Amino acid sequence: MAHQAHSYHMVDPSPWPIFGAAAALLTTSGLIMWFHYNSSVLLTLGLISMLLVMLQWWRDIVRESTFQGHHTPTVQKGLRYGMILFITSEAFFFLGFFWAFFHSSLAPTPELGGQWPPTGIKPLNPMEVPLLNTAILLASGVTVTWAHHSITEGNRKHAIHALTLTILLGFYFTALQAMEYHEAPFSIADSVYGSTFFVATGFHGLHVIIGSSFLTVCLFRLIKFHFTSDHHFGFEAAAWYWHFVDVIWLFLYMTIYWWGS
Amino acid sequence: GSYEFMSWKKKSGGFCFPHKGLKPIVSTESPALIFGTTTKLASDLPATDSFLGKNKVPDLQKIFQKADGLPVHLKRGVPDRLLYRTTMALTIGGTIYCLVALYMASQPRNQK
Repeated sequence: MAHQAHSYHMVDPSPWPIFGAAAALLTTSGLIMWFHYNSSVLLTLGLISMLLVMLQWWRDIVRESTFQGHHTPTVQKGLRYGMILFITSEAFFFLGFFWAFFHSSLAPTPELGGQWPPTGIKPLNPMEVPLLNTAILLASGVTVTWAHHSITEGNRKHAIHALTLTILLGFYFTALQAMEYHEAPFSIADSVYGSTFFVATGFHGLHVIIGSSFLTVCLFRLIKFHFTSDHHFGFEAAAWYWHFVDVIWLFLYMTIYWWGS
Repeated sequence: GSYEFMSWKKKSGGFCFPHKGLKPIVSTESPALIFGTTTKLASDLPATDSFLGKNKVPDLQKIFQKADGLPVHLKRGVPDRLLYRTTMALTIGGTIYCLVALYMASQPRNQK
């Protein structure tokens, strides 16, 4: 019987990387066809194939770990490094948008009326819905930590309750932000104020949706007994990502919403 | 290394990888739970045993550890094959459509 003499995971040949690359091609060229030639066929194809690839690739990782046992401590260490590096890259992504915000707001041009917020812009009151959103995300950070402790203590009921609460708080945030976007007196086209506001908060909102989805998958897996009290890295990765989303919001709130109003 | 693309090739040396493509592994032991009994399984707790369903992980572990030579993305048989073929059809078909569309878009417009 053949056995490997190391603790790494040599994966089975998989079609998902190349199909994922093709999906990226279809999505990007689909955007071009949509922008310039008013056709959304390619874009739709791209997004659907992207979704299919993600579903099957991550499904296979669950199979390889929970059902086939390939995730040794060595493999898990690599996954931890990977997730940390990915989150770090996302931090740099947001750094760019914060840079853009400060570039325009620290030295407002004459076209803006030499002031920030620019002349005619009525910014959102940071003490109203944005403050509630801050409380919501902070609370969700508490509930996700509660969920983690419940998992390590083997308390299935509490873990499910706490994780469900976290996800519900995430949905509440998204719903409130959607309402804010709809009700805002300014749009993305309203000078560089609108651009920086909606691009930065918009990408954040997208990350909240991604984080909520990741947590939802974890809830599903938690209910299906995939996690044990000392091996539940998928959950930890989701929790790290969620804390990251919370931190980005805190920076957004303090700079764009509060200082920038 | 080169294993990712040619894992079915026989590797000489001190150790061999399981040759799932050529030589099905003969299982000498029944698949046991991967996670040892030292960790607390959620199903170990008496009071919450049947809270939202029962633990089917051991059954799934049996299915996915069957020595049938199938790669993990096709291990479940028909549903896996269907999804795989659908994904392949959409991506490969889409790529061809994309190349045609980009070729046409790159043709110069004759007016202006």
